[in-house]
Amino acid sequence: MEPFFVRYRNLLVLLALLLAQMIGLAMQVRRTSVGLSSFDTRDDRGVRLIRLWANALVSPPERFIHSTKLGAVDLWQNYLDLRHARQENHDLQQTIDRLRLEQAALLQDALQGQRLQALNQFQEKYIYKTLAAQVIGASGSDHSRVFNVDKGSNDGLKPDMAVITADGIVGKVREVFPHSAQVLVIDDQTSGAGVILETTRIRGILRGNADGRTQIVDILADQRIQPGEKVLTAGGDQIFPRGLPVGVVEKVERDPERDSFINVIVKPAAHLDRLDEVLVITSTEPRFPSDQQQDMATSEALKGPEVEAEEQRKKASEIMAERLPGLIDPNLPPEQQPLNDSTPPNPVGHTAQPLHPDRFTPGAAEDQGAGQPTGQTGDQPAKATQNKAAPDASLPKKSAAPKTGAAKPPATGTPAKPTADPQSRRNP
Amino acid sequence: MSVLTADTRRDIEIHRYPFLVYALVPLAALVLQAWLPRLLGPYTWFDLPLVVTVYFSLGRRSPIQGTLLGGVLGIFQDALTHHAIGINGIAKTIVGYVAASVGVRIDVDNYTIRLALNFLLSLLGSAVYFFVYHILLGLTVDWSWLMEFLKALGNSAIALLLFPVLDRFRMQD
Repeated sequence: MEPFFVRYRNLLVLLALLLAQMIGLAMQVRRTSVGLSSFDTRDDRGVRLIRLWANALVSPPERFIHSTKLGAVDLWQNYLDLRHARQENHDLQQTIDRLRLEQAALLQDALQGQRLQALNQFQEKYIYKTLAAQVIGASGSDHSRVFNVDKGSNDGLKPDMAVITADGIVGKVREVFPHSAQVLVIDDQTSGAGVILETTRIRGILRGNADGRTQIVDILADQRIQPGEKVLTAGGDQIFPRGLPVGVVEKVERDPERDSFINVIVKPAAHLDRLDEVLVITSTEPRFPSDQQQDMATSEALKGPEVEAEEQRKKASEIMAERLPGLIDPNLPPEQQPLNDSTPPNPVGHTAQPLHPDRFTPGAAEDQGAGQPTGQTGDQPAKATQNKAAPDASLPKKSAAPKTGAAKPPATGTPAKPTADPQSRRNP
Repeated sequence: MSVLTADTRRDIEIHRYPFLVYALVPLAALVLQAWLPRLLGPYTWFDLPLVVTVYFSLGRRSPIQGTLLGGVLGIFQDALTHHAIGINGIAKTIVGYVAASVGVRIDVDNYTIRLALNFLLSLLGSAVYFFVYHILLGLTVDWSWLMEFLKALGNSAIALLLFPVLDRFRMQD
């Protein structure tokens, strides 16, 4: 009888390999507290090593292919052209072939030079520190939209750095190797970038869908969102600086799973499927040109005296405030504070009544000048003063009467003698 | 029916290749799979590591070798993505095993059978991938069977061109 392990060795090897990979997967994928599975992007060291091996295996050939610029399309076109030229004339074919190769090389160089020039101009204008990198390969799977660039940790790249072009955002650095790095493109299903619609100021999260198109998800249905509206980065994801162009709204679709939500399909501003050179934002600290830095230094220098003068003005106003009489009397209860007095100001009402009017008493000058007897003048000015003061002096009393219910002196302390009140004189 | 069954000596022979072919062809498949999308953009409707797995599994007619080759290629393919490592590995492990098991029983030199096998095994690989990714791991994914169908067609077309080229490297007994 054939031993069990020999008879079923094929199946056993299959099961063993499947089991090993399932265990590996179980160690990588975690179930969150809300019941969703998530793949931790920060791999442990063992898994990271496999990625390093794969990258070390694939990157050098990719780099070689990229450096020789032997594109499959160019080869195909040149091959067809060669066949056509050979049929016409063998001698001319060689010349044409050589010239075309040179022309193609020159054209490629010129195009690359133009691209690099545009990128360099953008890099100079851009206020953040960036590093130019060449795209050398991709993942090869439409379920994983990532590509590799020829710069790595030795060049200062770190995970979660933003990757952009002069046209718009591209993605973020995901894995960093010594001489290369893996970039997660914004049209991947697992990517996420905080974006904002330029006109309607509606915020959302940009990610890819199954068709490889970028869409903004988790947006409530809104009639204001129209095709053609620009989409910018919102700056809240701690990766992309705010205000970078993302793309334009291509169309708005209803979310098939949620009625009140819509999916906004966005046409990316950057040509994600034709990337050759990209910029990696290595530092988000503003990098201003020298003339702007000089202006800022001048502004800082001028700001010093202005601040000092402002402080002196504040100090002088405080001293003045201390010298001026206060509106709070520490001897009175809070409800009787002058600050709480709602009666209109009346300087006449505050005038103290003279106990012994003389010729200097206000209103007595005309009488004195008229040569009236002193005994009469003593009453008449007093009466005149009282008559003038009586309506004003009665005001606080009248206003206070309904509150107190009696002839209580007003809280302001305004002198109001009973004799000065016409009502009091009529009803003694 | 005779073309479908491997009942002759010629049909059940095991194809052997030089070591360099075993080493370079899978590597080239991985590199091209990673590099060609740069040129073709969204029209990357093929999976070269899967085509290579199917070819060697069918030719070698050894389920163990097919399983190991598929597993290794799948794991390396996973390592080039940003997903968990093992999803493609499991899918291609099963594809390699099934291809080798089928190769024992049928005539794998027939072009029609090669086309059909590549198409069906591509769909099987996609189904296993989806099962592992969405059902087993519970990860969310937008899935388009149309894309998988196109990819299966692309794999069949590539197999139609690639298999005769690789057959030239076959060692004669």
